[in-house]
Amino acid sequence: MSGDLRSAIPSELEPQAGTSLPRRAPSTTLDDDSRLAVEIRGLVERGEHDEARERFGDLVVRHQRRAGRIAYQYLRDAAEADEAVQDAFVKVFTHIGTYREAWPFEVWFTRILINGCLDRRKSQARRDRWMVAGEISPADEARLSTSGVPSDPERRLLSRERRARVAEAVDKLDGRQRTIFVLCHYGNFTPREVSAMTGLNESTVRVHLFRAARKLRSLLGGKL
Amino acid sequence: MKRWTGWLALTRHIAERPLYESYYAERTGEPIDPRIAEHLIDCAACSARYAAIARMLDEVRADGTAEADAIFTSERLRAQQQQIARRLELAARPARVISFPRHAASNGARTAVARSAPRWIAAAAAAGLFVGVAAGASYEWEWHVQPRQAHVNTASHLTPVATRGVGRVDVAADDAFLSELDAALERPRTRELIAYDALTPHVREVTAQR
Repeated sequence: MSGDLRSAIPSELEPQAGTSLPRRAPSTTLDDDSRLAVEIRGLVERGEHDEARERFGDLVVRHQRRAGRIAYQYLRDAAEADEAVQDAFVKVFTHIGTYREAWPFEVWFTRILINGCLDRRKSQARRDRWMVAGEISPADEARLSTSGVPSDPERRLLSRERRARVAEAVDKLDGRQRTIFVLCHYGNFTPREVSAMTGLNESTVRVHLFRAARKLRSLLGGKL
Repeated sequence: MKRWTGWLALTRHIAERPLYESYYAERTGEPIDPRIAEHLIDCAACSARYAAIARMLDEVRADGTAEADAIFTSERLRAQQQQIARRLELAARPARVISFPRHAASNGARTAVARSAPRWIAAAAAAGLFVGVAAGASYEWEWHVQPRQAHVNTASHLTPVATRGVGRVDVAADDAFLSELDAALERPRTRELIAYDALTPHVREVTAQR
């Protein structure tokens, strides 16, 4: 599955290939994050690494929550998602010299994050072939069981079951559909932004999003 | 979205795809086709369908977001920031070559010398053992083979005498035989014949008995 996902996203936005631009037309105005990324790039080029790292901290704060949501939906493992987010930020900073302001920083960063998640999913699948799935940590279990639901044990149990069903249904989506659904749904990206990240046509993204949502609905039996 | 308005005119209800698209458009702040929006207000059936889709997708999103946010708490996010900062700092630092401790190196050399001595001892012991075993084996071989040859020679030499003795009891002949034997024994002694010598009665003893 991860192979399909990988093929859904071209490597045009990889940090190593930062000089080659995607074929889709980017936005002309720079958002705050992109401007900050350009500043950081300048600082790194001038050798002011300490200052660059400090400024980069602002970008981390702005993007880490959304990154965590996306990574968790991909990996379904708190520790793995945490590491994937960290890796993505470190990779972005170490390759900031290849960033081109023609593309929003968020698009570039999310692209790198998704690639990292796909690699981790692949290695997870390889590991799962040989090993028994790890238990969820007690701390995470406690957090999950109490998040967003009342203290009523019955409702808590129902909520947990519902989440498990949703996660299973999302996992059953086709590679491209899953990527697009996760980005639009949990990353709050518009089809246009997802199109920029994936290199797919905007209309193709819309079709995949519709199919993913419809399939999810049928997998969940029309209701939650 | 315009192509869906034709469908709307034909069926009087909105197809599934524009309903989903309208949901995503509404959520991301994109404009919804005014005719679809108008129809959703007017048509109770389409409005109910839209509401069902929106409810399901909203719940999926809310659940997923709440689940991830429950894991990535403020403390965890702070820890993540610190971890990223630490990793970036480490990445910026040039690689340091750690010199091998001198005392450890000399200790290592001493240990090597100390360890080579037992090896020589072991080799010498093994060689000594081998030589010993080989010498012992050759001695054993000589011990086993040469007495047999001597026995064969002696037997072939003595057989006619014995036959002769069986025919008639001749004391003079016996004396002659024993004298011959004594004469043989008086010659320089051979180690292999000592055992025969011990078993055989001497002429002196026989004569003394008479």
